[in-house]
Amino acid sequence: MASRFAPRLFLRRLRMRRRAQPISSLHEASAESAGVIGDRIFSPSGTWSPPDFQCVFRVFFSARPSSLDEGKGPAAIDYPSLLPEEEFHKLADETIHDLLEKFEEYGDAIQIEDYEVDYGNHVLTLKLGSLGTYVINKQTPNRQIWLSSPVSGPSRFDWDAMSKTWVYRRTMANLFQLLEEEVGQLCGQPISLR
Amino acid sequence: MLRAAGRRFLRLGSEHRAPTAAVAARAYHERVVDHYDNPRNVGSFDKNDPTVGTGLVGAPACGDVMKLQIKVDDATGKIVDACFKTFGCGSAIASSSVATEWVKGKHMEEVLSIKNTEIAKHLSLPPVKLHCSMLAEDAIKAAVKDYEAKKAKLEAGNAETTQTEKVDGA
Repeated sequence: MASRFAPRLFLRRLRMRRRAQPISSLHEASAESAGVIGDRIFSPSGTWSPPDFQCVFRVFFSARPSSLDEGKGPAAIDYPSLLPEEEFHKLADETIHDLLEKFEEYGDAIQIEDYEVDYGNHVLTLKLGSLGTYVINKQTPNRQIWLSSPVSGPSRFDWDAMSKTWVYRRTMANLFQLLEEEVGQLCGQPISLR
Repeated sequence: MLRAAGRRFLRLGSEHRAPTAAVAARAYHERVVDHYDNPRNVGSFDKNDPTVGTGLVGAPACGDVMKLQIKVDDATGKIVDACFKTFGCGSAIASSSVATEWVKGKHMEEVLSIKNTEIAKHLSLPPVKLHCSMLAEDAIKAAVKDYEAKKAKLEAGNAETTQTEKVDGA
């Protein structure tokens, strides 16, 4: 009988325990077989046995030396050391507030039916009526800004300290540039977000 | 007094009832609910099996982790079986469940072209849940990559053995 994987209460407890753990334990994660860039990935280690989730949890985070050596995939990015949480919040909040203002001004300037800009709990929602909805939010554990676009789908932007911009590593797209292009095209009027 | 107690009792009762009768605007699509209630292919293969590819994506801290495994027929390169285990929201569970359904019976190259947009469309995922479908796409790719890496390693190992045998035999 197929059983759903891990009860939610368990996981909530786990999350609390997880917060108490030192961030350094995350260093051990490796990313060899999963080819995902820009996200935290782990090598498949050990069997996944729901009953003893805490034990599995530790296994999940600890890397096997052999798999670390063999891993040819992208290295696990240690986000906490790349960008301290406080700095991330400052940068991300600034960016999102910036976008919020610009979208509000844009809404005043153009005439799109059901144009709506919503901001709550650090989530920015831009509704363009029948043209679609954009959702922009922070993903703090990954130090990323996540975007959901009706045109290009989901993307995850990392902060690039060199260019001082948010970049989607898979396509090298720039957050502001992408939004400018898409929104400008959708609404028929150029928008400047930079 | 009795009426108040009665009301409280009823309220308690309604709290315990499953929150499926939520605000209509925010309801999950029936396909998502279906996959959540009747997930297909939940399970685990032996990851040390050479015909098994394991894709593990996501992070608990982010709230979504998917493990998608494929069993491949070495001779034909076709995926004969797939299973998944996902820790995450209903959309994440549904996305990975759909992914296992879609990869079964397909050739490995073919499943690499499964796009997150197709999964999202199939489940009518709202904008904020598109990320779940992308994770499912990533899980498929990771599983295929893992299988191919294992196969390559195995073949390299075999080549070495035959070489040493030749030396021994010489």
